Amino acid sequence: MATQAEQPSLPTVAKRSRGGWRPGRQNEAYLFLLPSLLGFLLFIVIPVLGSLALSLMRWNLLTPPQFIGLNNYIEIFTRDPLFIQAFGNTLFYAVTIVPLQLVAGLTVALALNQGIRGVKFYRLIYFMPVVSSVVAAALIFQWMFNRDFGIVSAVFWWLGDVTGLPIAPPDWLNSSAWAKPAVVLLTVWKNMGFTMVIYLAGLQSVPEELYDAAKVDGASPWQQLLNITLPMVSPTTFFLLIIQMIGAFQLFSEPFVMTRGTGGPAGATMSIVMYIYQAAFKYSQMGKASASAWVLFAFIFACTLVQNWLQRRWVHYETGEG
Amino acid sequence: MHKLRFPSLAALLVSALLVLAACGSSTTPAGGAATSAPAAGEAATSAPAAATSAPASAPPTAAASGEQPTAAASSGAQTTITWGFWGSPEEKASHEKVAAEFMKTHPNIKVEVWHQPWDDYFTKLKTLWASGDSTQIPDVLFLWPTPSYAATGVLEDLTPYIQKSNYNTKDYWPALLESASYDGKIYGFPRDIETNVIYYNKAIFDEAGVPYPTDDWTWDDFMADAQKLAKIEGNGRVTRYALAAEGGKWSKFVMQNGGSILDDMRNPSKCTLSDAKALAGITFFSDLMNKNLAMRDAALGQAGGDAAVFQAGQAAMILQNSSRVSAFNAANLKYDVVAAPIPKGGQRANGAGGAAWVMSAKSDNKDAAWEFLSWLQSSDGGEKLYTQSGEIFPALQTVAKDVFLKQTTPPANKQAFLIEGEASKVGAFGYFPDWDELSGSIIEPGLQKVWSGEQSPADAATAICGQVDTFLKDKGYPKK
Repeated sequence: MATQAEQPSLPTVAKRSRGGWRPGRQNEAYLFLLPSLLGFLLFIVIPVLGSLALSLMRWNLLTPPQFIGLNNYIEIFTRDPLFIQAFGNTLFYAVTIVPLQLVAGLTVALALNQGIRGVKFYRLIYFMPVVSSVVAAALIFQWMFNRDFGIVSAVFWWLGDVTGLPIAPPDWLNSSAWAKPAVVLLTVWKNMGFTMVIYLAGLQSVPEELYDAAKVDGASPWQQLLNITLPMVSPTTFFLLIIQMIGAFQLFSEPFVMTRGTGGPAGATMSIVMYIYQAAFKYSQMGKASASAWVLFAFIFACTLVQNWLQRRWVHYETGEG
Repeated sequence: MHKLRFPSLAALLVSALLVLAACGSSTTPAGGAATSAPAAGEAATSAPAAATSAPASAPPTAAASGEQPTAAASSGAQTTITWGFWGSPEEKASHEKVAAEFMKTHPNIKVEVWHQPWDDYFTKLKTLWASGDSTQIPDVLFLWPTPSYAATGVLEDLTPYIQKSNYNTKDYWPALLESASYDGKIYGFPRDIETNVIYYNKAIFDEAGVPYPTDDWTWDDFMADAQKLAKIEGNGRVTRYALAAEGGKWSKFVMQNGGSILDDMRNPSKCTLSDAKALAGITFFSDLMNKNLAMRDAALGQAGGDAAVFQAGQAAMILQNSSRVSAFNAANLKYDVVAAPIPKGGQRANGAGGAAWVMSAKSDNKDAAWEFLSWLQSSDGGEKLYTQSGEIFPALQTVAKDVFLKQTTPPANKQAFLIEGEASKVGAFGYFPDWDELSGSIIEPGLQKVWSGEQSPADAATAICGQVDTFLKDKGYPKK
């Protein structure tokens, strides 16, 4: 029945679609694009421009906005130590989380690419954290890191008991030195599965002939890794680097839940996005929050441009070389 | 009916996602404004949903009490007011019972409920006020901190209503009404008062051979008891703490020792935390932590909060207000309460404050709203009902004496709450609009370094005071 109906209608469909491309009749195309364009305009372009305007104002939601020029920007850079601290924390997150994720993801992907038994099971295990709820994961990690009753600390106490050495666990979330690493550990654990999956796909597209040729030339597995695998997956690495870096700059839920929204101790775990959230929704300083968001945007944008420029030196595209 | 009852964590995640979604893809960096726009839309659509859920839930309660026909019959001349509050599903049910009770005695007024989880409440409320639509803004609502809102002009000054109807403001605990006042005018009535007492686990006291404390104990007594109650292993691991107290409770110790946070909590000109008396209060609290007698603030949060560690026997005592009573009674815990210890030569002190019922300046039915508001805060209206349900320690002294004290459920020594209530003072927080930011961005983070044991109280207080003084100067304090 379906084929019968399709057969006679085919020519007309073909005619119509040909006719659609005639000059002067493209307006219909815009009509079809309209819903998504409207959505883009209403929910992205207008709010983004609105926040740019707000970043030049003082507004607490309750009284009318007041134009104050660049004062919000001046305030966050000169009179708000918390902003600088949050910015430093965010940089720390980026330079620890991104490399750790890449190395851990690649290592696991290499291991799982060897054709060991039960690969699917391991993939499931490593990917599970990615789809689990970040709030639940952060709450569990928070308990695990408790000094006296947590399981991570229990290992340290146990080591101390067994060896007789004065080993005490770091007081993770209570210490301004150890709280950030605790957040990093959670984030890497949570997102490593994502890098692993992307790397697995990248590894599987490396042609087997290259390894065969290298083996004939007598290259060791380590040399094969350095000279074949890494260059061949460099486009994957580049993609992951950009994605993970942006993700790390926008870290929010992990430190927020782990520190019960305080970013403590003493601001040691507060990320920029947490700072923005706090300014906007705790202290109702929409202008200051918008200004911070734009500073973050400019920073991420600049970093991405630099990465894009640097990629010419180390990213190998197969087609480009061939 | 259950539509709006998100568990708070889900709400937290939603707000997190909102922020992340707004700055998610690299093309949309705007956190603040981008999220406020969808939030406004959400509030507008969910407010009617909240309004419709109220009638849906009203019939069962009304029918149960057999009042449904009369309420329906008089609906012709009814004024409808909207009543806003936050809270868990249990708290919402208790509020709805109070509303039903009010409508029974006041058939001319219909109370509709506007309920939001704590995490969304203030954001939605602010967007409603920003929209200016008086049909959507609740007429009577729960609010904290009242002075900050009063300063922006969204609240109705209650002083004329109080004078007109001879409302008795003398029944409130000392200094309590001031926490809901601004510029000499009363903008709200606190529903309850935070009276922090020591809860102690009798079984642990028995086991450690420590006699139960009495209301006249001192800091020295407390320290001596704590050393006997805590269980610390040779390597420093603590298996039982003597005290679990939230870091935010520190101001009580400062006030007890005659110290203060700022020279004037209403209109400050400088920080006084580094003065000897205030410093001694902070030191008492931090000593407890450094000696492994009190759980550190971050560790307490990690372990699930003071109620969790007290019930698990991981802490022998907690310092907390009356809000834990119903949970401990439900868990059949062997416990009692006692007034907080005070230093030798010090004073009994309790920071007077509590979330307040206020009236929106945008209300369309101010007389009806006042009738409801004053009934809520009367000794045989809402105050009595909330106290009977075991939910609050009442803001009104007569209700505390006639209702709260006469309950037969544990704890036995309810008098402790009254002792602390009578010692209520200005001092735990500021009564000026910028206090929230001052406390949240400077004072509390600065003290966290003390609670974590990384900085001495003196160094921390000096650093904090330097920042506080700059902040106050920047914001133009003292005013006038």
